[in-house]
Amino acid sequence: MDRNPIDFRSFERQFAQMDFRHVVPLAILAVLLVVALIAAWTSVHTVAPEGQSVVKRFGRVVAIRGPGLHFKLPFGIDRAYFVPTERQLTQEFGFRTVSTDSRTQYEKQPTHRAESLMLTGDLKVIDVEWVVQYRVDDANRYLHSVEDPQKAIRDVSEAVMRRIVGNELGSDVLTEKRVEVATQARDELAEILDSFDMGVVVRRIELQDVTPPEPVKPAFNEVNQAEQERERLINEAETRRSQVLPRAEGEALQVIAEAQAYATERTNRARGEAERFSAILAEYQNAPEVTRRRLYLEMAEHVVPRIRRVYVVEPGQPGPLPLLNLTDETLPPRQRTGDR
Amino acid sequence: MLSRTTSTTLVLVVALLALGGLLLYSAAYTVDEAEQVIVLQFGKPHGEPVVEPGLHFKMPFIQNVRRFDRRLQSWDGDPNQIPTRGEQFISVDMTARWRIVDPLMFYQRVRDKDGAIRLLNDILDSVARDHISATDLTEIVRSSDWDVTEADLERIPVAAEEEEQQLLQRVQMGRGELVRSILATAQREVPDFGVELVDIRIKRVDYVRQVQEQVFARMIAERQRMAEQFRSEGQGRAAEIDGETQRQLATIRSEARRQAEVIRGRADAEATATYSRAFGADPEFYAFFRTLESYRDAIGDDMTWIVSADADYFRYLRGIREPEPSPPAADTATPAARR
Repeated sequence: MDRNPIDFRSFERQFAQMDFRHVVPLAILAVLLVVALIAAWTSVHTVAPEGQSVVKRFGRVVAIRGPGLHFKLPFGIDRAYFVPTERQLTQEFGFRTVSTDSRTQYEKQPTHRAESLMLTGDLKVIDVEWVVQYRVDDANRYLHSVEDPQKAIRDVSEAVMRRIVGNELGSDVLTEKRVEVATQARDELAEILDSFDMGVVVRRIELQDVTPPEPVKPAFNEVNQAEQERERLINEAETRRSQVLPRAEGEALQVIAEAQAYATERTNRARGEAERFSAILAEYQNAPEVTRRRLYLEMAEHVVPRIRRVYVVEPGQPGPLPLLNLTDETLPPRQRTGDR
Repeated sequence: MLSRTTSTTLVLVVALLALGGLLLYSAAYTVDEAEQVIVLQFGKPHGEPVVEPGLHFKMPFIQNVRRFDRRLQSWDGDPNQIPTRGEQFISVDMTARWRIVDPLMFYQRVRDKDGAIRLLNDILDSVARDHISATDLTEIVRSSDWDVTEADLERIPVAAEEEEQQLLQRVQMGRGELVRSILATAQREVPDFGVELVDIRIKRVDYVRQVQEQVFARMIAERQRMAEQFRSEGQGRAAEIDGETQRQLATIRSEARRQAEVIRGRADAEATATYSRAFGADPEFYAFFRTLESYRDAIGDDMTWIVSADADYFRYLRGIREPEPSPPAADTATPAARR
């Protein structure tokens, strides 16, 4: 250690030689200036546009001020506490908004799930996420009625939501009673918070995702699928029906039309033949014998040339059968002797 | 240069001022809007608690102050596993509001908030436990205006008969009444320690893990049955529609056939009537005429005809004579058909 010890003697000497007459007023001035600066700094406060400021003097509320520049007593005699009375405040249950940059992102951690899983009236479990929107309407009471207003709002909200969901059927909460649950919860929450006199107005409660618990979700989806399948099966049957029936109707018309064609043909033919017969009959009645013979001969004339062989047998003679060579026939003769 | 006397005076003045300031600082105290204060003299409470906010004074040095919150405090219980009357284990999480109403007594009995919360833990946990273990789960979960009707049961999947009964059951007490009764008992039980219990609520009721898994399994089974029902409903409806289609098809077809038969029948009848009207004029001639016609058609090529020489057609082969008065019967021999 060979550093020089501080030379107190010479320091003392120098100090004694200094002329304090000039320094003292200057120092006092400087101190006063600093004090004045601090006073100025602490006697002014600005209130942001979204709220009010509660000014307390020695802990006692003396004023509540709106947005703008305000003066108060300096040095912490008056203190200002800002409360965002105009802002819409939100508490989220069952999830948290993590960022609202380009796309709002949410997260759901196990602790958040514990907030949102609850029992329904039919003793099932349901996952209800919701937000409570509220506003401070009395800054003074908000600061001085309840120790931790946000915790109070959270606790009571959870209790109220569970009471109401517990009084409904699970499938109703999932579907048609969403709105009812939300309004009922809002009213009840507002009533309880009013009884705490905490200067808060509950604007609304919005149910967010209301879902079955995670392990049960696939089964719920299965139900939806089955419902769609039911519709599909029914539609397919309807389609088949609409394909088959019009064709059958067409075919039916066809059958009827064919019958009508037959009828027309049949009656016309009958009429034609009848008329022909009537005409011939008229002829015949004029000259019965001749006509009769003529008709007979005409027939014979037509028929006889087409016959291959004609055997004319004298009456009283034996028939020609024994003479006929029937063996060269390929087909067994179907024979009837035409003797009279 | 300052004279010795002036500088001494200055030091004295400054010292006095400092002392005065110190005294003032020690004597004055503030009470916040949210606070209440008791003044202690040598550790012994002195006078009434101060609740009026603002600047107050006390004896410097020998008195000091203890501050207590005047606002509503919260108590948050630990989730407790409690069996209900139906011996289902549930996890119950309570929350309560309380405030210090008698700071002096509060200070004497529990000293501070930690002590108070410890005391509240013991009392509230046991009161809640007593009430909940004497209550059915349905009464804990549902409220007194629980109202499920038969019509509601139609809409929802219900696993079993007993569950239906349980759903239709009226609520005797319900959550609200249970909570009120817990609050009343707790208020009675909370000993005099300067605290008012304002509100108590059941924040959460959950199944314990094991039971929860069972409940999930039940819910899954229920939904699967519902899905099955939808599927078979779909199949049933489809079959019904198909059957109806077949019925309509048969109706359309048979109706068409019926109409066709009627039309044919009418036509046949009409034709028959037409024929008989015409032919009825001379049935004998008709027989003759028609028979000749049929010979034309029936007697074909390549036939062998064995015929008696008596036949009319061959009569003139024998010679020309005056015709005997014989009937002009068509004495044709039946042709021996040979094709």
